[in-house]
Amino acid sequence: MAQWKSQMPKPLSAIQRYCLAVLCVSVALALALLMQRFHFRGMEVPLFLFAAAINSWYGGAGAAAFALVLSCLSFDYYFVPPLHSLSMTRSDLPYFIAFASFALLVSWFAAVRRRVERELLQSRDELNREVAERTQQASLLNLTHDTIFVRDMSDIITYWNRGAQELYGWPAEEAIGKQAQDLLHTVFPVAMDDIRAELLRSGRWEGEVQKTRSDGTQVVVASRWSLRRDEQERPAAILETNNDITERKRREQEIRTLNEELGKRTAELEAINKELEAFAYSVSHDLRAPLRHMSGFTELLQKNAVAVLNEKSQRYLGIILESAKRMGNLIDDLLSFSRIGRAETHKKVVSLEQLVQEALNEVRQETAGRNIVWKVGALPTLYGDGSMLRLALVNLISNAAKFTRTRQKAEIEIGCTDQKPDQVVIFIRDNGVGFNMKYANKLFGVFQRLHPPEAFEGTGIGLATVQRIVHRHGGTVWAEGLVDEGATFYFSLSKLEGV
Amino acid sequence: MSTLGRILLVEDDPKDVELTLTALEEYNLANEVVVAADGEEALDYLYGRGKFKARSNDNPAVMLLDLKLPKVDGLEVLKQIKSDEKFKMIPVVVLTSSHEEKDMVASYRLGVNAYVVKPVDFHEFVNAIRELGVFWAIINEPPPGSVKKT
Repeated sequence: MAQWKSQMPKPLSAIQRYCLAVLCVSVALALALLMQRFHFRGMEVPLFLFAAAINSWYGGAGAAAFALVLSCLSFDYYFVPPLHSLSMTRSDLPYFIAFASFALLVSWFAAVRRRVERELLQSRDELNREVAERTQQASLLNLTHDTIFVRDMSDIITYWNRGAQELYGWPAEEAIGKQAQDLLHTVFPVAMDDIRAELLRSGRWEGEVQKTRSDGTQVVVASRWSLRRDEQERPAAILETNNDITERKRREQEIRTLNEELGKRTAELEAINKELEAFAYSVSHDLRAPLRHMSGFTELLQKNAVAVLNEKSQRYLGIILESAKRMGNLIDDLLSFSRIGRAETHKKVVSLEQLVQEALNEVRQETAGRNIVWKVGALPTLYGDGSMLRLALVNLISNAAKFTRTRQKAEIEIGCTDQKPDQVVIFIRDNGVGFNMKYANKLFGVFQRLHPPEAFEGTGIGLATVQRIVHRHGGTVWAEGLVDEGATFYFSLSKLEGV
Repeated sequence: MSTLGRILLVEDDPKDVELTLTALEEYNLANEVVVAADGEEALDYLYGRGKFKARSNDNPAVMLLDLKLPKVDGLEVLKQIKSDEKFKMIPVVVLTSSHEEKDMVASYRLGVNAYVVKPVDFHEFVNAIRELGVFWAIINEPPPGSVKKT
């Protein structure tokens, strides 16, 4: 750049240019006169031509013309006979014309030269501007996080941005000029021919490819290719942008693995559930048959041998019968309990008030003739399995009825409290025999009973069933009580959203 | 008691057979009971195959069918009977130990006429058998072509 500038003459102002013309012609004239004085002949023409040439070079077309006119006049005046006059003889005319023409030619060459030079300067400036712009663009590409590089049609890398350096490890100086495939060892998902065909057809291609970094590790990238064509529409280069999706791929793989595991687990659980079902079926069917036979044949024995059996033996047979019957009940309860755990819940919006009424209708059939004061408060609507919740309510309400049997006047209250923000708490309170809080944790266990069967019948499955149902609704169940002071059973369920 | 229908009892457990027959005896219903010990035998009886080759062509007035049977199980027997024009009119009562809803639903889907769970208690069992026997073998008018004893 500096070299260019030093070769270029500084532009002169108009006055300077015309002064230069006068000066050059004067110097040329002075030198010519001096030469003439010392009898050097024929020097005046080259000297004036010099003056014209210098002016054309430095002063431009106007100054050159001015110098030319001055030179012609001086030449005519001092060197063309008759001397010291502006007139000339006919014989001098061709000479004079030749001089003027030559001077014109020199000036014209100089002018052409200047114009070419100016144009050259102009295109240099344009070039500079373009280079600056390109440099800026290139540095913009360096700003992006994306990996961008360009390779020509013979796979030689011609551009390599900072993102590419960051992702693959090689700096631009090392990458540019190399074969892309030698550097990156790209593994394509489809045949290279297909990619080429697609690229030539649509000018684009994209896919997930695997490349190798400078440290040898592998990276999976989402690769987008754009084909650049030259003026003749021939493919010239391929611009490739890459996004590192290794992490995403890893996560996808992780999710796939987790899903597979989940599938396996589900299958296992299903198998276990099936086994449980088979077990329950076998309990239901196979355990009940021998019981039926025990009970049936004992009864037949009782009938046929009534004459020969004493009272004690009769009692023994009675105990056998009763035990068989009790075991039958236990099996039935255990089965229905296991069914609650296995059955799918069919949840929908249910009215607790209606469920309580249905449960009450069921329980009241057994409490006919008793003096029971029922208090039922307002109850919410919520989301749950109607038949399961009804079963839970029947269990709790019939418990309350059972354990108030010793009371002259039984009081049973069913209501709900709003003590938790997102849950409703339903309670069933009675004034029955109550229980010792010491044993509160045993209440909800399977076959756990706090009273002897002589006092209150039952298998001890009811509250376990309640707990299982409430748990399946995502709620909790607990109880408060005092011996002889009554008991309150609570359970919480999720509130219906938007109500 | 005017007429008595023939009862086909399909039951693999000899003790259950004995209890059932005892219960039916009390009401003089046991004479016309044919016992099949498994599903295959029950089908043999109906189709007059094997040891039942010589039987008369008449259908039983009612069939008491256990579900858990060796060889061909109860549901399969039920399915074959109810899909055969010749037998689909025979009233079938499933008499089983199974409380399972699945079995009940499957039986009703196949067109069973009644589903009875055998009670553990002998009295209840006797009552159930008696009522079944009285209803199906005496009160109910069986479809034409069934065996009736006058």
